Amino acid sequence: MNVKGAKEESLQMRIERSQAVRANIKRFYIYFVLALIVIIFSVAKLGQVEMFGRGHFLSPASVINLLRTAVPIMTLSGAFTLLMISGYIDLSVGSAMSLNAVVFALMILNGFPFLPALVITLILGIAMGALNGLLVMKLRITPVIATLVTLSLFKGIALLIVPDGLSAIKGSAEKVMPPWINDYARKNVLLGMPWAFFVALAVIAILVIVQRKTILGKYAAAMGGNRTAAELSGINVVKMGWLLYIIVGFFAVLAGVARASYMSLGDPLSGDGMELDNIIAVLLGGTAFSGGEGSVAKTIIGALIIMCVTTGLMTVIPAYWQTVAKGSVLLFAVVLNHLLIREKVKA
Amino acid sequence: MNVETKQVRKNTVGGRMSNESFLTLFMIGVLVVLFGIACAIVPNFFLPQNMLNLITNNWFIIILGIGVTFLLITGNFDMSVGGVIALTGVLSVYFCQGANVSQNALANGLGLPYGLAIALALLCAMGIGAINAFFIARLKVPSIIVTLGTMMLARGIAQVITRGAQRNTSLPDVFGVVGNIAIQGTSIKISVVIMVVLVSAAFIFERMTVSGRRTYLIGANAEAARLSGITVGRHLTFLYLISALLAGITGILLASEFKAGVSSRAMGYEFDALVVSLLGGVSIAGGFGSVLGMFVGAVILSVVTTSATGLLLSPDWQFTLKGIVTFIAILAQRFALDRRKG
Repeated sequence: MNVKGAKEESLQMRIERSQAVRANIKRFYIYFVLALIVIIFSVAKLGQVEMFGRGHFLSPASVINLLRTAVPIMTLSGAFTLLMISGYIDLSVGSAMSLNAVVFALMILNGFPFLPALVITLILGIAMGALNGLLVMKLRITPVIATLVTLSLFKGIALLIVPDGLSAIKGSAEKVMPPWINDYARKNVLLGMPWAFFVALAVIAILVIVQRKTILGKYAAAMGGNRTAAELSGINVVKMGWLLYIIVGFFAVLAGVARASYMSLGDPLSGDGMELDNIIAVLLGGTAFSGGEGSVAKTIIGALIIMCVTTGLMTVIPAYWQTVAKGSVLLFAVVLNHLLIREKVKA
Repeated sequence: MNVETKQVRKNTVGGRMSNESFLTLFMIGVLVVLFGIACAIVPNFFLPQNMLNLITNNWFIIILGIGVTFLLITGNFDMSVGGVIALTGVLSVYFCQGANVSQNALANGLGLPYGLAIALALLCAMGIGAINAFFIARLKVPSIIVTLGTMMLARGIAQVITRGAQRNTSLPDVFGVVGNIAIQGTSIKISVVIMVVLVSAAFIFERMTVSGRRTYLIGANAEAARLSGITVGRHLTFLYLISALLAGITGILLASEFKAGVSSRAMGYEFDALVVSLLGGVSIAGGFGSVLGMFVGAVILSVVTTSATGLLLSPDWQFTLKGIVTFIAILAQRFALDRRKG
């Protein structure tokens, strides 16, 4: 009797321990994945030819470069996570970003100072987010379809703004792009990082706090978990969803401006595939597909993983492997996400 | 009593047109109006050849639309079709190219006979469909995420095989036959005939087979379908394999037409296939839509884009136009159905 009791107890303990291990894996795996990828690339590239003269994967120059190119996705993926936690999706972020970049570059080219151009682009971005919100929340069109339609719309408008015969808004014989357009995303402010990077950090910090500490974060999770229950318990789902789409639209502007400033031109195709990068980052970060739970901070780690993989691969294998690599990372993220989230639901 | 029987008759399908037929007729009406406007304002629109082109120039979108429509009726997306077209096109070329004929790596293939090459390429296309089905039917991952992933995977493999460009040398003559042969005395290509055959087959499948009706049940209520004994997973797998196979056929026909395997072929076709399904009245909310409607939708899109070209708008207008047209179509269809109900 006593022995049996002890056995049961030990079984109980074992189950508890395995659950604790699993919970810990779920909590920390993303940091291991990032560390692993960084280690692989820094070892694999030791003997390689120097990339663009920047040297080792972990040399200060290449780390700075990596973080600089990661600015748009870092700015955007936090807001995207909030939206996905609430169970919605925005596939138009990429083309919204391109359109913002084009509009911003066009205004700078025509002599606007930095701040007014930024403010006008922000208003445009908020309008685009509001349009998505209108289609999804008010007119109740399925999010995927509605945002695919706006994807096409924004991309089309961006292509229309760029004059015939040019591939992007850029300086020409008559008009020259002012050199200070680069200041925002390239000029060294502190530790080799430009303004855009610190803006991205601030955005991340704000969104982490919003997700963890404010009512908006709680409401988003409640909506994603069970929309009807959230509605019944008095959350104005329509308003909240609308607000989240507007937030995504707002940060798409910051990302677009950072990209335009980095490239010193407005490319109508520069944001293509951004929605996929965001989805990968969000899934790697362990946010559930259907919403309800997730973490902004982990999405940022997921975004860094993508940037490491793409920039790291670029130096090891030819560029035409990029698409295959990204697709594989996406499917890998899906499997990983499935394993971890499902385990939790079962337990 | 009288009121009650009236109510009953109103709810039965027999006495009244089904919502799908109503919507298809509605979209045909829209098509006729748009066509009339186009004839009035677009120069050279009202020509026999142009009207024929409205259908024959869109065969690839219509073939893709069949698979996408069925999946959309079950409430799932397939965004991988464009990638599958590129992949099968490139693979069929790669399998067909002569082995060790040139110093240039892009000119060397496997040297298989054409029939075998096509069969293998179609098999690879269905492999992508199988990946889709595994993730969506087995792991229950949202279809939009999975198929966007396999879209990248398929196009990525095509890019790797062609090194980001295309393969078009050292092909046997037989390779260019299927895509370019036309019916005697007309300009109608064999691809268009294949499209018509496939649409007819899909129509019969949709209306007259048990399997076809199951598609609607799954879309209307997957849980109820499962409880009434339909193996939902197997049916979804079947539909994803069919969709990939149709995309594969399209890929092979396009590769044959241009006698080249281009890795950037069919960029954005997945969106066009989705747009024509939506224009035809397919509802993502489930269990609603028809292949015939999709066909009408494809002609509507064709009228709009041809008119835009005829009015000398820049090609950049295409994206904006497609977005606006789809948006209006979704709202108009919902309005028409609501009015009918109320």
